[in-house]
Parts: sequence; C-alpha cells; structure tokens
Amino acid sequence: MIEVEGLTKLYGEFVAVNELSFTVRPGEALGLVGPNGAGKTTTLRCLTGIIPPAQGRIRLCEQDLVQSPLAAKRHLAFFPDEPRLFDYLTVWQHLVFTARVYQVADFEPAAEQLLGELELAGKRHALPGELSRGMKQKLAIACGLLHSPRVLYFDEPLTGLDPYGIRRMKDSILRRVREGAAVVISSHLLHLVEEICTHVLILKEGRKVADGTMDDIKRRFLHSAERNNLEEVFFRATSEVEGNSAP
Amino acid sequence: MMGALFYLQFTSARNRFVMRLKRLRQPKYLIGGIVGGLYFYFYFFRYLFVAPPRGPANPASWFTLENQWLIESGAGLLLCLIVMLSWILPNKRAALTFTEAEIAFLFPAPVPRRTLIQFKLLRSQWAILFTVLIFTLISRRAGGNALVHALGWWLVLSVLNLHFLGVSFLRTLLLDRGITSWPRRVGLLALAGLVTGAVGLWLGRHFPALHPAAGLEQWLEQLRLLLTQGPVSWVIYPFRLLVRPYLASDLTGFLASAWPAFLILLAHYVFVIRADVAFEEASVEASRKLAERVAAVRAGRGEGGGAAKARRAPFNLAPRGSPVVGLFWKNLIGAGGMFNQRLLLLLAILCVGAFMAMSNSAGSGGFVVLSGLFALMLLAWSILLGPQVFAQDLRQDLKMADLLKMYPLRGWEVVLGELLAPAVILTCLQWLLIPLAFGGLLGMDRGAGLDPGMIGGLALALAMIVPALNLLSFAIPNSAVLLLPAWFQTDRTTPHGLEATGQRILLLFGQMLMLVIALLPAGLVFTVALVALKWAVGWLVAAPVAGILAAAVIALEVGLALMLMGRWFEKLDVSEEAGA
Repeated sequence: MIEVEGLTKLYGEFVAVNELSFTVRPGEALGLVGPNGAGKTTTLRCLTGIIPPAQGRIRLCEQDLVQSPLAAKRHLAFFPDEPRLFDYLTVWQHLVFTARVYQVADFEPAAEQLLGELELAGKRHALPGELSRGMKQKLAIACGLLHSPRVLYFDEPLTGLDPYGIRRMKDSILRRVREGAAVVISSHLLHLVEEICTHVLILKEGRKVADGTMDDIKRRFLHSAERNNLEEVFFRATSEVEGNSAP
Repeated sequence: MMGALFYLQFTSARNRFVMRLKRLRQPKYLIGGIVGGLYFYFYFFRYLFVAPPRGPANPASWFTLENQWLIESGAGLLLCLIVMLSWILPNKRAALTFTEAEIAFLFPAPVPRRTLIQFKLLRSQWAILFTVLIFTLISRRAGGNALVHALGWWLVLSVLNLHFLGVSFLRTLLLDRGITSWPRRVGLLALAGLVTGAVGLWLGRHFPALHPAAGLEQWLEQLRLLLTQGPVSWVIYPFRLLVRPYLASDLTGFLASAWPAFLILLAHYVFVIRADVAFEEASVEASRKLAERVAAVRAGRGEGGGAAKARRAPFNLAPRGSPVVGLFWKNLIGAGGMFNQRLLLLLAILCVGAFMAMSNSAGSGGFVVLSGLFALMLLAWSILLGPQVFAQDLRQDLKMADLLKMYPLRGWEVVLGELLAPAVILTCLQWLLIPLAFGGLLGMDRGAGLDPGMIGGLALALAMIVPALNLLSFAIPNSAVLLLPAWFQTDRTTPHGLEATGQRILLLFGQMLMLVIALLPAGLVFTVALVALKWAVGWLVAAPVAGILAAAVIALEVGLALMLMGRWFEKLDVSEEAGA
C-alpha cells in the first residue's frame, strides 16, 4: 500500500512536485504519466527515499518513509530507467550483496529462480560491463525482486528491452500485481500504461491533472467511443490545463 | 569540406573555453581556478621567460656545445628505439580514433577519406600543442631558449605522430596482403639483429676494449666515438636531424638547422595523406573503446585500460548479519580482489621472516638500517597520503548515492561500510610495515639513543593506533564528499584543468589541516600517558598502554564523525548535486 499526501518537492524556488496526493492499494498498478518535466521521476525518487520531500507524507505498507525510513524501505524496490549497478561486482555478487543488505536468509533458491526467469543463469560470473543494456536491466530487476518487495516502482521499464524482454517484463509486472503488490509505473508509453495499469495519474508541471481508474478517467475526458484510448485522454487532460484544444 | 571541419574544431574549442569561463562564476571553480593558477605559475610559468635561479643543482644550461653531441645522439638513439618499437609491437589495423559523435556525423557524410585524415591530424595538433607547452615548461628549467624549445618539441612530436600513423597504415597494407604480425616482427627483429651484429663487428675492429677501471672521461670519449662515427651514427642520423633544431641557441640557429627536419615532416605528411588505407571499421571499434575508457575514468574506475575482469570475493558473505559488512565486502572486491586472506597471510609470513632476520642482525647497521628507514618512510607516507591513494569509499560510490540511499540502512551504517575497506587495507599494509620499520631501527647503534624496549614499545603503540587513525584519515575526505559533493562529481561535467587542480590542492591541504587538528587530543593523551608510565613500567609497556588510550580518543572522534556524516548522508539531495 502506498499513501501519498501533499507531496511537494522544491529545487530552490522551482516547484518540481506540487501538493501531490494519491493512494495505490495492494493489487493495483498506477500509471504515472505526463509530459517531459512534469515531475514523474522526481515523484518516484521522493517515493523511494532517494531525495527528501520538502513537504508531505509518504507511507509505504503502513510505515512512514520519513519517520521510519528503514522499515519502509524494506518493502520497496525501484527500477530506474537506467539500471544502477556496481561496475566491479559480477551478476551473482550483486545478488549476494543485495541479500545481505535486505537480510534475505536462504536467498540462493530465489536468486537461482530469478536468474533462470530473466535468462541470466549463463551470465552469473559476468560483470555489468560485459552485459547488454537489456541484460543490465534484467540484473537490476533480479536485485530488486530478491527481497520480495510489496511496493514496486518502475521508471520507463521497457527501455532497452527486446520484444521478448518486453513481453516478459509486462507479464512479470502483471503477476506481481495479481500477487498483491502495489505498483507505480512511470512511462511515456501510454499503450503500456493502458495495458498494465489499473489506475492512471496524469501530472503536468508538478501538479496532478487527473487520476482515477482507467475507466473513470476515460469517462471524464472522452465523450464518444471514437479514439477511446489513454493517448486521447492524455492530450485532452494536459491541453485542458493550458486552455488549448487537443491536437 | 575542410571548412566545415575547421568550424567544428574551432567552435568546439571556443565553446569549451567559454563554458569553463562561465563556470568560474561559481565560487568553487573560481577559488579552485585561482589556487590552480597560482600553483602553475609558481611551479612552471614564472620560469618560462625568466631563467630559473642558478645553483649547483641547477646549472646555467645543459645545452652547451660540449654537451650537444651527447644530447643530440642520445635523443636520436631514444627516438630510434621508439620508432623501432612502433614497427614491432603493435598488431592492430590502422585506427584513427574519433569521438563517437564524430563517427556518427562524419563517417556517413560525403567526406573523403583523405579529408578525415587531415581532420584527425588537425585535431591531434591540440594534444601536441598542449604537450609542447608542458614539455617546454619543464625543459625550460634546464636552460635554453624557450621559443626554440617549443618549436623543437613541436617538430619532434609532430613527426612522431605522423610516423605512428604511417606505420599503422603500412601494417594494415601488410595485413591486407596476408602478412600477419609475427612474420613482420620476425623480419624486423632479424633486420635489427643484422644491424646490431654489424655494429658489434665494427666495434671489435675499431675500438680497443677499455679497462673497467677506466675513468669517466675515457668512457665518455668512447661513447662519443660510438655515437658520432660508424654504423650507429648512420642509423641514428635521421633522428639526430630531428633533434638538432631543438638544441639551437636562438631562432636563427633553429631555422638554419630545421630544414632537414621539416623535409622529414613533409615526407611523412605526404605519405599519410596519400595512403589509401581503410581505417573506418577499426576506427569505430577504437572509438568505442576510447569512450569506454573515458567513461571508466569519469566513473572513478581508474584508467580503465583493458577489459575489466571479474574479481574473486575476499570472503563468503552470509545473507544475515550487519549490512555494514556487506558494503565492506563490496568495496574490497572493488579494490581489486587482491586483498584476500591468502595474500595477507603470504605478506605476513614474508614480513615476519624479514623482521626475524633484521632482529638477528641488530647492531650490524648497513642494509638492515637502510631497509628499516625505507619501511619507516613508507609508513609515514602511508599515514599521510594513504587516504588519497585508496579511495574505495564514498568517493568512488558517490555516483551510486541514489542506490545507496534506497537501501534500508542508516546513514552512519552506509558511511562506516564505505570507510571500512580502504581503512582495513591500509591498516593491514601498515601492520606489515611496522615490524620492518622498527626492526630496521634495531639495527642502529645504541649510541643513537634507541634501545630495543623503546623501539618495541613504540612499534606496538603505532600498531594499536593505526586502525582508528586510518578510519579518521578516511573520514576526513569522505566528509568533504558529503559536504561538497559537487567537487567530487565524476560524470561528464567533471572539471578539468586549472580549477580542478586548484580544488585538489585545496582539498589536500584542508584534509591535512583537519587531520592535524583531530590528532591533537590523541597526541596529548599519548604524551601524558607515556611520560607518566614510562618511569614506572618502562617503554615496552608504557608506549602500548599510551597507544591504546590514544586509539580510544581517536575512536571516539571517529564515532562522532560517523554520526555526523550519517546525518549528512541522509540529508544529501543527490538531485540538487547532479546539477551542481
């Protein structure tokens, strides 16, 4: 469960995220969409504890991220668009290290399973520098999933993946959602968000423009069956803020 | 077409310069730039147009007429060896290294191959001119005309640059004709062997063997004859022509002696430009590797030369236990995996053996004392500069701060985990040096006022102090990382040049000052305890006890520093620093 109330992030006088509030329940996937500079990545980084919010409250699985960061962080995994790996640790050493950091007792069967699922079993002794972009992404995912997190954040999760990888990634996210994880996906790929997410939150210039279930949001912005998709919703929602008509 | 390439070079250089000028508006770069500028001025530039002060170690000029044959022939011989190695050692096809952006823009564009070579030569002039500046600033200290030196260096470096390129083209042509590296090398080595044999024969016939006890003047005369007459002089003649202008006393002399060197330069240029060798494919690969190396250096992974290899874990990391040990384990792997238990055991055995040997020869002086003094010097150096050399801590992991902040760890745990690896490595090395250093001192005469009890006691005291001392030494630069993260950025915006040099100098002095201040309380405790105890229990007991007390004081400081640094780490806003 993710509960966000009045989240605000400032850079000097610039308001990157402004009074953002939303909730993601177990078994829900929230699509975080918005134009470039809308504050999606900043929001995700605040939700992971990487950067401190200026104001607001973030609760993950009943734990306040600012007051009890350790307890909250044990439940979360963040998958940034650019995989963050240690250059000098092999694939297996990454998993060993992650297991120690998250105190995952008897991690080896889970690690082996993840390596198999993500087609990394043959690369266990490889360094990140020897892996393709997609493989690095898979390793970051394996590390993130090792401690069975209940809160998952994805920032552009399909970047660098081949069609097989894309299908597996989508299946993997959907499975975690079915298993009761609370998921937030930030992406410009609106068809991905439409396919996977149960809810959508549209951000523009740091402010929430619209949020709700996919059906709710379509009902609000679309008035005919014609072009009944999230892309149309996105353009209408973000244009209404500017007072322009949809392109 | 060349106009567009000139434009690319000129605008890139201008924009880089303007960017650096604009950056000076930020105090951290301005202060760094001023300090760096002062450093360069006092170390190099003030001698560019003003002769350095004279003294026995700094004669008026090494470039006298008497020395000219020696410098010219010696440099010619060195150049000959460099050129020979450039023919023998490399085995790859010709690859002009372009940046990835240049490849993306220029290779698909309708740019003739010859123009690409000219562009590459033009661009290499930046590096050559910078090297010329540095070399001139250094060689100026040995006397001579600065302008002539600069022109001389430029001639030599430009010809070498063209020669290496030409050799790589020839190598590619040979490879295209099925002549691989080894037949080429065997042929060249056979030729070198023939020349050496001929020189040997000539020497045997024309040079009487000198008695080993002959004076320096006789040996120098023999060397002069060898280098200025017969086959050696013929072989190195073209290289001497290249060096000769550098040794001219003024510009007129330079112009008079430079025309053969310019002819050599022109011949190389014509060959390189006219050679129709396909270098594009190898260039793409070379550029990719260059980009990887640059990325490795910018990411703080050293020079990044060669492919990184997986390193063995120093010990098995259990999934349960303090995460601090996990960070320690990770950074030990980052340190190279060489600091494992087996290596430390081997080094320990070697050092104990050396210590025993030194102890048995106590009072014998000579080699034992020298070895001990050398070890003592290394020990002092490791205490002062160790934290600058071993940086497998937050300085290396700053770029991963976002990942570290996501872990369910307290700030002080992250900081301690990051400090442990370099501190432990340095401590282990110092523990090995301490018996060697103090064992060597045992070799001194007692007349020097050193008795074995005092030496042993001080050695034990130092061994007890260094773990805490190293943690403190590493805490200081890591505090700077947390307080001034922008100074330690290792991404594309990493500053270079004067401002970066100035920043490093400031940080180094700041760290030294902090260390001295932090050690004052421990030093006071050590001195008081030692003075109070040594009369009652002697040096051998008093010094270690005082060492333990001093170590406790330092450990307390380290604990306080960890708490403070932990808070700084938790408050570190990586997104703000990314744009700094």
